[in-house]
Amino acid sequence: MTAAGFPLPETDWAPTAPFWAAAADHRLSLPRCDACGRLVWYPADTCARCGGADHSWADLSGRGTLFSWVVVHQQFLPQYEPPFVTALVAVDEDPAARLATRLLDVDPLAPGLAVDQPVEIVFAPLRFPGVDGEVTAPFWRPISGA
Amino acid sequence: MSDGWGANVPLGDIGGRVAIVGVGESEHSRASGRTPTEIAATAVERALEDAGLRPEDVDGVMLGPGVPDQLDAAAFHGHFGTSHDLWESQAGGGMRWAATAPVPAAEALARGDASVIVNSFAVAWATQRGSMTGGPGQMHAEERFKANLEVPFGWFPQPVYFATIARRHMHQYGTTEAQLGAIAVACREHANATPTAVMHGRPLTLEDYLASPYLAEPFRKEDCCLISDGGAAYVMTTPERARDLDRPSVEVAGVGLGRSHTGTHWAQQGDFTSTPQAFAGPAAFAMAGIEPGDVDVATAYDPFTIVSLMQIEDLGFCPKGEGGAFAQAGELRVDGGALPYNPHGGMLSHAYVLGIAHVVEVVRQLRGEAANQVAGAEIGIYGGYTGPEAATLVLRRNAS
Repeated sequence: MTAAGFPLPETDWAPTAPFWAAAADHRLSLPRCDACGRLVWYPADTCARCGGADHSWADLSGRGTLFSWVVVHQQFLPQYEPPFVTALVAVDEDPAARLATRLLDVDPLAPGLAVDQPVEIVFAPLRFPGVDGEVTAPFWRPISGA
Repeated sequence: MSDGWGANVPLGDIGGRVAIVGVGESEHSRASGRTPTEIAATAVERALEDAGLRPEDVDGVMLGPGVPDQLDAAAFHGHFGTSHDLWESQAGGGMRWAATAPVPAAEALARGDASVIVNSFAVAWATQRGSMTGGPGQMHAEERFKANLEVPFGWFPQPVYFATIARRHMHQYGTTEAQLGAIAVACREHANATPTAVMHGRPLTLEDYLASPYLAEPFRKEDCCLISDGGAAYVMTTPERARDLDRPSVEVAGVGLGRSHTGTHWAQQGDFTSTPQAFAGPAAFAMAGIEPGDVDVATAYDPFTIVSLMQIEDLGFCPKGEGGAFAQAGELRVDGGALPYNPHGGMLSHAYVLGIAHVVEVVRQLRGEAANQVAGAEIGIYGGYTGPEAATLVLRRNAS
């Protein structure tokens, strides 16, 4: 079963709660391995690179590159009205860590995007028709003039 | 604990220890009201008839892990009215398990736990369509990292994951939409030559493909597999028993299994545009003592055009990154291609029964009995895929 409020995130689910708490504060925070300094994303008990078990949530710059994107035309979820642009963003501090996101400030019918172009974070409320509540979430947008 | 994104999973050497002596399929269709159990039972009935065996001769059943309403031992007895001892394993079914089922089967045959084992798989996802209940998106929507980090942003479900991979592949290697279209068109032509295919009688040209609207750009509808009701089964036994049956049989020559360390979290997969076939293929080919160039007919689990393309590359049928050009040059076609691929039409155009019908197709090809026959095929493969894992099954025609 999916959680109540789906497709809003469960902001109190322990493994990702610090991510959502930081977003509420307009910060991007991801766990970083204390041993090797790489980001541990998605959160896991051990670092996939070095096996280190101690990780600390670290604030990031909110700069990244557009790893890949898709213009969604089909309505896959009743709460999600197409068209929209969904994407993976590689964060500058460790591009192996990718964030799924929705791109803002892009016309889905004329996106004019290029893989690997620079993008920046923008915090905005995530809300869905017919679903109670909203959550402040990290979205990304092309860096203008880039 | 390395920067490697996945690994080979070592398997025991079962080359030449299992023979496939019978295959069967149910009708494949759009929504039909049938249950998976009924569909699987029909497929098993036909596979046994094909093998010249009676239900009483079967002493082992294999079915898929975690898939509801499959043909387990109790359902087998319920359908056939039998009550004898049946060895049962849930390491079978479709997807990558349709490729690896011969491994636990070989062990059971060697131990004497069973002498005739039937592996079956069926789905009724077309009937269940309309909600995500029981359908292919459900497990992804319920997985909590996805539910909390992907779904809220609309990065969901499978067509979106794999369209994202396709876009990256295009960027990395210059793959084009027309090249993806060449895969869809080849599979449709093959389905048009296969009367049991769901898309039989429904032609598709590259012009049709390119003119159709995007579903999850760069994907169009025809980049995505069907949603079907259907199933299939195959019967395994020892090579000695196979000889006694005096029916055409094929031998399991090699099996390989590969695994991605990031599981179904495709967003984080280190090599984003590869599949674990890169680890499975070499192991299976080594067990079989062959090279990719020895393969006469290939099938692979093909939920999306890009998944076919990546597996064809990862299995070594062309250099990495050249799968698009390979498809565009017509190399996947039964009619004159270097690597006749999914000659029944695959999941794109035959039926979405999760790979079990691919194995049936390879067996028929090697017996020279396929509807869309590759002339003189002696070695065939099935590439099974579940995302986190991929497996390669090499089958070889037995000298008659």
